[in-house]
This record gives sequence, structure tokens and C-alpha cells, in this order.
Amino acid sequence: MLEYAWLIPVFPFAAFILIALLPKRTLWWEDGAVYAIGGALGAMCLSFLVVWDVVMGDTLIDGSQRFEWLVVGDFSVTFGIWIDQLSAVMLVVVSVVGTLVVFYSGGYMHGEGETRRRYYAEIMLFISVMYGLVIADNYLLMFIFWELVGLCSYLLIGFWYERPSAASAAKRAFIVTRVGDIMFMAGIIILFKYVGSLDFADLFSGAGVAAVPSDMMILATALIFGGAIGKSAQFPLHEWLPDAMEGPTTVSALIHAATMVKAGVYLTARSYPLLVQAPESLLFVAAIGGITALVAATAALAQNDIKRVLAYSTISQLGYMTLGLGAGGYLVIHADSAAGYSAATFHLMNHAFFKALLFLCAGSVIHAVGTNDMRQMGGLGKVMKITSLTMLIGSLAIAGMPPLSGFWSKDEVLAAVWHAGEFDPAFMMLWVMGIATAFLTAFYMFRMWFMTFAGEPRSDYHAHESPRIMTVPLMILAGLAVVSGFALFIGDGFKAFMEGSIDGLLAGAGHESVFDVAVEIFTDPLTYLTLALAIVGIVLAWRMYYVPGFDRSVFAKGFNGKLQRALENRWYISKFYDDFAIKVVYAASLVADAFDRHVIDGIVNGFAYLGGNMGQVLRRLQNGNVQRYTGLIVVGICLLLILVLYVLPWGGW
Amino acid sequence: MTVLNMLEPFMPQLILVLFALLLPALDYLFKDKRLLAVATLMPLVGVAVAIVAWMFFDAWTPPASSVPLVEIDLFSGLFTLVFLSVGIIVVLTSADFVRGDRNQGEYYALILLAVTGMTLVAEATDLFVIFVGLEIAGISSFALSGFRKREKRSSEAATKYFIVGGFSSALTLFAISLFYGVAGTTSISALGPAIEGAFSSFEGSDSVAMLATVLVLAGFGFKVAAVPFHMWAPDVYEGAPTPISGLLAAASKKMGFAAFFKVFLIGLVVTKTDWEVAIALIAIITMTVGNLIAVSQTNIKRMLAYSSIAQAGYLLIALPVGTQYAVAGAMFHIMTHAFMKSGAFMVVAGMGSAAIGEKLEDFKGLGKRSPFLALAMALFLLSLAGIPPLAGFASKFVLFSSAVYGSIDPGPGWLIWLAVAAVLNSALSLYYYARVIKYMYMDSGSEEKVKVPRWTMAAILIALFMTVFLGVFFDATVDVCLRAAEAFTDLPLGL
Repeated sequence: MLEYAWLIPVFPFAAFILIALLPKRTLWWEDGAVYAIGGALGAMCLSFLVVWDVVMGDTLIDGSQRFEWLVVGDFSVTFGIWIDQLSAVMLVVVSVVGTLVVFYSGGYMHGEGETRRRYYAEIMLFISVMYGLVIADNYLLMFIFWELVGLCSYLLIGFWYERPSAASAAKRAFIVTRVGDIMFMAGIIILFKYVGSLDFADLFSGAGVAAVPSDMMILATALIFGGAIGKSAQFPLHEWLPDAMEGPTTVSALIHAATMVKAGVYLTARSYPLLVQAPESLLFVAAIGGITALVAATAALAQNDIKRVLAYSTISQLGYMTLGLGAGGYLVIHADSAAGYSAATFHLMNHAFFKALLFLCAGSVIHAVGTNDMRQMGGLGKVMKITSLTMLIGSLAIAGMPPLSGFWSKDEVLAAVWHAGEFDPAFMMLWVMGIATAFLTAFYMFRMWFMTFAGEPRSDYHAHESPRIMTVPLMILAGLAVVSGFALFIGDGFKAFMEGSIDGLLAGAGHESVFDVAVEIFTDPLTYLTLALAIVGIVLAWRMYYVPGFDRSVFAKGFNGKLQRALENRWYISKFYDDFAIKVVYAASLVADAFDRHVIDGIVNGFAYLGGNMGQVLRRLQNGNVQRYTGLIVVGICLLLILVLYVLPWGGW
Repeated sequence: MTVLNMLEPFMPQLILVLFALLLPALDYLFKDKRLLAVATLMPLVGVAVAIVAWMFFDAWTPPASSVPLVEIDLFSGLFTLVFLSVGIIVVLTSADFVRGDRNQGEYYALILLAVTGMTLVAEATDLFVIFVGLEIAGISSFALSGFRKREKRSSEAATKYFIVGGFSSALTLFAISLFYGVAGTTSISALGPAIEGAFSSFEGSDSVAMLATVLVLAGFGFKVAAVPFHMWAPDVYEGAPTPISGLLAAASKKMGFAAFFKVFLIGLVVTKTDWEVAIALIAIITMTVGNLIAVSQTNIKRMLAYSSIAQAGYLLIALPVGTQYAVAGAMFHIMTHAFMKSGAFMVVAGMGSAAIGEKLEDFKGLGKRSPFLALAMALFLLSLAGIPPLAGFASKFVLFSSAVYGSIDPGPGWLIWLAVAAVLNSALSLYYYARVIKYMYMDSGSEEKVKVPRWTMAAILIALFMTVFLGVFFDATVDVCLRAAEAFTDLPLGL
């Protein structure tokens, strides 16, 4: 099946074309949802077949499935597919979440009228290019898809473009991720300069890695990770993601929780063969991840918008994955272990399921109540049983309660960071940040859950449970949030599976058995420490937001209220950007503008003026008079004769 | 040698001519004139299928020529395919466009004859066959341009085309006679050695040969609409029925290039150093003038005409570079240009069938009125401007890079300036192509929906498919073109 993997993006792309071009009356149900479901299902079935092959031990990483687009002399641009265990994990995530979100949209977007056509077309385009990104076999192709998912993200954040806040959030997301994109591009240009190819097969080979000097490797990998900082909303470029919540909630679930924001993590994991050559970059990756996890988790504490809580939580969890990848690199170098690498990808998969679940639950709540503000909710648990229950499962999963998926993967990530501390003490500090984040996560998630579902209604609303087409995807995702963690123990275990995609980097230490993995988890005191912290977090949230009569102002007054304000303003990072943008960048742009207007435009206008005028003069020659036409031919011949017979020989040609 | 033997290599032309003779008779039989279009399509598709079967599937071998006048090789095969495809596209569109006109039998017959002449040029190995081919195609297209003789613009176009065309034919014929005087032969492959021999044996022959070269340059330059022999083109393209404008721009011009390649890169390759600078200058002037004037046009057909002139300038690059890679690039661009330019003209024809004008203003709001026409037009124009992954990018890339490679090996170094000029011109051209796209999508005009006639839609779809296909299957296409260039004549590779 692997050789047909290139067909996967074709299904949603065909759906995109059909929805965009078909006449209105042939769009049927929900303005094109049928085609969208068809495209998503087709791609999902094919993805599953491909993933099955990978699980059975087959991979396609030799570049044999390659389409040569442009070949001139030694220079070539080829497009091919690359399917290994890492791509398989992403394929599962994109196909499952993508399909469920499309189904869910059938209910969620019901009231949008004719704009649904645009919605479904854009969603299908997104799914198609996301698949493309996952199966690309070189950095150039990946970069093309990388930009395309960015474009789709921009379009969908700004789906309600009539709202100024949505339009500006879309712009912000696009511009901020652009910063990362430029770094990514710079990184791959450096690699191309030394290796002369951007194919993974060439770059990741021994010769390819050896061709890059070590200082340049540090620079290139750090720059490539810069792309991930933008796309995966890592500190300090993370502020676009909360704003991106202006889009429909389905978009937040699909693009800004489960798939596109994982592209950065995927890119980092994909570049492992390069990253392990540059331990400095790995430490940088881990540090960014740790800082992101903690900063975003604290910012989530004081948000009142349900989607913003989830957005910060997404950023924080993405930080976990990045931290795991950074630590995992050290484990690969020093301990020949894929523990960190597999933990991060494992968390990527689990997080995709439970975070998509949480977003879709939030969507269900918003659909019912008509507001994002949790202060206006409360008591919804009575009327929305399925939603409240599935959201509880999602919250428990992200808080790391056993036996839900979040417990296993978060524990694995933290264990890997702890283990990496043996080789560089910096990881000890990152580990502390990690467990602090675990505590905060449990707290803010349950703060959100209690504020939304428990207690009495705090505003006048008439909520009802969402239709079946929305609740069924919730139940499926809730089921996945429960069971996906057990992938750790299926067959040879998830870790052994992921080892397959970087086995070139490992000296070939034998696999741990599944049993050993389980024993390790349950005999490690750190597991219980993390778990205890998470339970404390939940209990604290219960005490503060469920039990009536608790005076929350005690916390608000701490540090003279400065802490509360700082949290509400998300550590003033956004404000810093605004101030920076207004003062410094604006001043710089005024100078650039003056230069552009007077110097560049002057030159361009000069040419345009010259061109326009010459066009006018030349046009006047063309007066429609046929005598003049033939006359000009004769003049032309005479001039040519003078040229070839006298001028050129005289000039020595 | 029986007569049948002698006729064998002319089989494609015979089939086309046979149908051309049949069509006026069928005009009396058919009540639904669309059947005439079907009857015209039959030989075109038939011959095209035969050539595809030969070129790509080795299903048969073309008869070796028993007369030293024509030769069917990959080079001629590729050109013939271009002419036939443009013919198919034009005939399909005409089924809607000339519906209700009188004398349709003659109209279709003339299209077939024009295509016949073009294929003859592509297969010619003799100066006289080239001349005969040019004339068959030329005279047919004079008549076609004036097909709507009651329309003033159409008659005016035909008259101008006829006068300037006659003048150019005379120049070509004069040039051929001068070549014969110097070399004593009209065979293209024998021309080079014979001229070299003449240079050493009698004095002044080099000047005569140069005069003949300039005259033949003017004669062919008229066909491809190179500056300063281009003046007729905008008037004729504007006045002629739109499908015929497409035929002229997409096929007739390509015939001129087939003739150019044959005469200059086979026959006159021995004197290349004498003419390469002149043609390089003409190339640069042609592309610049074409693009500059296109900017200020207000009529879409005139704009496309000037854009065709500019494209001729790009194609002329291949002559001074004169490597296999350059010829391959030119053939690639000839193919892509044939599809994207005929496609653009057919969109205009489709709008004409729906009684919308030819002013650029008339394109305002087309994106809402007819999403299909607007999208097709946008893709054709973007391809013409050379935006990847469309075909126009691919072929321009090969063509322009051939000048870069050629300047390194085999030289001379100044060839690189051809690439520089071409790239700058491409940037300039984007201005007027993008303007049409802006009109279609960003400006609002009439709200009334446009109904695209079925046959025209089919023609546009064919052109659209090829415009995307040739760009996406870049590598395979370059490969075919390189093989054709290799079969064409023995030139340095230049890659």
C-alpha cells in the first residue's frame, strides 16, 4: 500500500475542487458537507491501510516513489513520499481528527448559511496540504506545504472576516508564523548550500550529515527549529495562538490543537538525524519547550474565555513535546535510547485526541450557550450530560490521571527529561518546570470544568444538548482519550515502534519489553510525585471553584494584585509586542517607508513612466496604415543589412 | 518508383486535403452545421492519433521518404502535433462561434488547408517545400481572416494581412533564388556546405548570401511577427474572427519558427557568427516592444497580439544560442504557448459567442458572471506570465536557462544577456496579465451570468488540461523535446 500513499492528499483535494467549483444546486446537504465527508473518509481509509503496513514493519524511506518535476543538468527539484513510523503517527492523528471534525462541522456550522461552502472548501484544502506536509520526502516540498497550511490557517481564523477582531487575529497569526517560516527557509538554504540536496534521504545519510560543518549544523538546526517555534506557538512567538481562537471552534480543534500546530513538533522530530549532531541546538529546543510549558500554563490560570484556556493549554502541552524532543536527543546521544523521542511523539498523538475532544466539547458548550465567557456559564452539567462527561474525560486525560492517555505520555516525557538530567544538569531545572506545569495543568483544567458545568447558571440561557452529529464524534474522541495511552503496551510497545524511525541513530541496544516499561512506570517514585501534584491541583480547583463560599480574593490580593494582573495580561508578552511594534518597528518602518516611497518608488515609477511613454510612442507608429507597415519592413531590412554587412564586421564580431 | 511510393510520405497532408475538398460538398448535405465541425475534427484527430501512436508508442514507423523533399522525424512530429491540436481547439470553438454564418463549409476547409500547409513546413527538407507550405497556410489564413466579409474590421484585417503577406512572400522567394544563385541548391541540408564552397570559389558571394539571409529573416520574421515585421499582427488579430486569431497566434506563428529553425540552424548554421548578433538584437527588441505596447492596450485581442509578439521574442532566443537544449526549450515553449495562447483566445471567443465585447473593461466582474471562463483565463494568463507550476513557467525556465548554459558552453558569453532581457520582460509582462485577473475578480461589472457554449468549453478544457499537464510533467516533456531536438540536427548539447 505504501506506494499509493501519495493518493491520500488527493482525496481531500478533489473534495476541495468539487466544493469550490460545483454549481450551488449540486452541493446537496449542508452546502458541500457530503463531499467533505467523502474526501475525509477516503483519505482516512487509505491512511489506515498505509499505517497498517507501517505497523507491520514496512517503511518507504528510500525515495523510490519520487516525481521529478524539474531537472536541469545537475539541479533537480523532485517531489516524493516518505513514510516511516513518525509519518504514520501523524497520519493517524490527521485522519482521525480531520474526519471527526468534518462530521462535527455538519452540526456546528449548521447556522452559517451559504458561507459553509467556503468553510468546507478551506477545511478540505487544509486537510489535503496537511497530509502533504506529513508525507513529503524533502524539506522543499515540506516547506511548500508548510506555507500552504499557514495560508489555510489564515483563511480559517479569519472565517468571520466581517468581525475586525477575527480579521486582525488572522493577520497576526499569519505574520507571526511568518517569522518562523523565514527562519525555517534560512535553515534549509544552509543545508542546501553544503549538501546540495534537500531530500531527507540525502541529508540524513552519513555523507549528508558529514558535509555540514558542525557550527553550521548548529545554526541550521536552530533555524529549522525556529520554524517550529512559529508554527507550534512556542515561546516567544506563542501569542498568536490564543488570538487564533477567533475562528470557528472546529477550526481551533483541527488546526490549532490537533494538526497544524503539531507540524512544528513534527518538523523537529523529523530533523532528529541533524539535531543529534548539534547538542547545543537540542538544549535550546528543550529550554524553549520547558519555558513555553510553564509560561503558557500560568497564563491559562487567569483566562475567562473557555477557548483561550484551551489555547494556552495547547501551547503548554506543545512545550511538553518540544521539551521531550530536546531531552530525547540527549538520550539518543548519550544513552542510545529513543525514550524521549518516543515519549514526545506519543504525547503528540494522545494530545491530539484529548485536545481535539476538549475543543469540540467547548464548541458544543458555545453552540448551546452562545458565549465563550465562562463567567456566564455554570450548571451546564445538568443539561448537557454527554458534553460534560466527555469533557471530564478529556480534562482527566490532560491532567494526567491514570489510566487515561495523558498519564502515560506525560509521565514518559517527564521521565525522559529526568533521565537527561544525568547528562546535563540544565535538564533538572527543566524537569522542575515540567512537574510544576503538571500541577498547574490539573488546576486550570478543572477550574475550567467546574466553572462551566458545576454550580448554578450565572446568566440567562436556554442550553440543550447538541445534536447527535456533534455528540457522536465527542464520544469517539473520548473513547480514544481513554485507550490511546495503551498503545504503549500493544505489540512490542510504542517505544519499540518509534525506534524504527531513528534506528540509524541508535547503536542497536535491545528493546525493552512491554512488561519492563510498565514496571518502570509503576516502580518509579517520580510517577507518584507527578500524580500527587496533579491530584492536589484538581482538589484545589474543586475547593476554589466548586465548594461555595471560598474567598478567591486571597489569591488575587497576593503581591498586591500584581500577580493576578500579570496573569490576566499573560505576562505582558502581548503588550510587549504591541509596544515594541508601535514604538520601535513603527519608527523603523517610517524610515523604510520614506526610503521606499522616495527612492525605490522613484526608480520604479521612472521606469514605468519611461515604459508607458515609450509604449505610447511605439503605439503611435502603429497607425493602421498598411503602407507604413510595409515601409517599416523595408527600413528594417535596410537597417539589418547595414548591421550585418558594415557595423558588425567593423565592430570585430 | 511508383506514384504511390512518392505520395507515401505525404500521407498526413493527403488525408487533410481530401477532407478539405469534401467539406464544401458536405455543407450542402448537412442541415446542422455542427456536423461540419465534426467532419473537420475527424482527420485532425485521426492524424494526431497516428502521430502520437508513432512518437510515443512505436506503433508504426513513418515511411522513409522516397523523394528528397520531406522527412517525418520527431521534430516534425512534435510540430505537427502542435498544429493539429491548435486546429482541434479552433474547430471546436468555431462550432459555436460561426454558428449561423454562411459558407461554413469553406471556412472549415480553409482551416484544414492552413493546417496542411503548416505540417508541410515542419516536414520540409527543401527551401521550396517550405515556401509552398508557407503559402498554402498563408493564403488560407488571408481568406479566413476575412471570413466575415460584411464586417468592416474583418475585411480590413484580411486586406492588410494579404498585402503585407504578399510582400513578405516575395521577399522569401527572392531570398530563395539568391541562395540558389550562390549555392546551386535548394536542399536545406546541402545549403551550408554549398555556401561555404561558394565563398572560396567566387568573390562577393558572402555579401549575396548575407543579403539572402536578411531577406529570409524578414520573410519569416513576418510570419512570427518579430519587430519590425510585426505591424500587421495586432490589426489582423483584432479584426479576424476570434478563433482564427487563435489559429494565427498559436499555430501560424509556430510554423514560422519551424521554418526559422530549419533554415537557420541547419542550412545557415555555417554562417551563424554572421547572423547571431542580428537575431539576438531582434529578439530583445521584439520582446521589449511587444510587452511595452501590450501594457497600454485596451482591447483584449490586441493585448494578446502584443503578448504574442513578446513571446516570439522569447522564442527567437533559441536561434543565437543554437544548442540542442535551446531548441528543446523553444519547442517546449512553442507547445505550451500554443495551448495557453489559443486557450486565452478561445475564452475571448466564448465571451464573443455570449455577445460580450472584447474590451478589457468587459472582463470586469467576470469571476462572478462565469467562474469557469474567469478561472480558465486566469490560469492561461498566469501561465503566459510564467508562474509555476503552470506550463508557461516550465517552458520559459528551459528556454531562458538555455541562454545561460549556452553562454558558458559553447559560448559566446554575451548570450547570457538574452536571458537577462527575457526575465526582465517576463516581470514586465506580469503587469498587464495580472491586470486582467484583477478586473475579473476584484472589480465589479455586470451581474448577468454568462453561459459558456458547450463546444467552446470543451476546447478551453483541452487547452487548460495541457497548460497544467505540461507544467506538472515538466521532466517528461523536456525529455521528449530534447529527443526531438536531437533528431532535428547535430547541434552542441549546451547543458
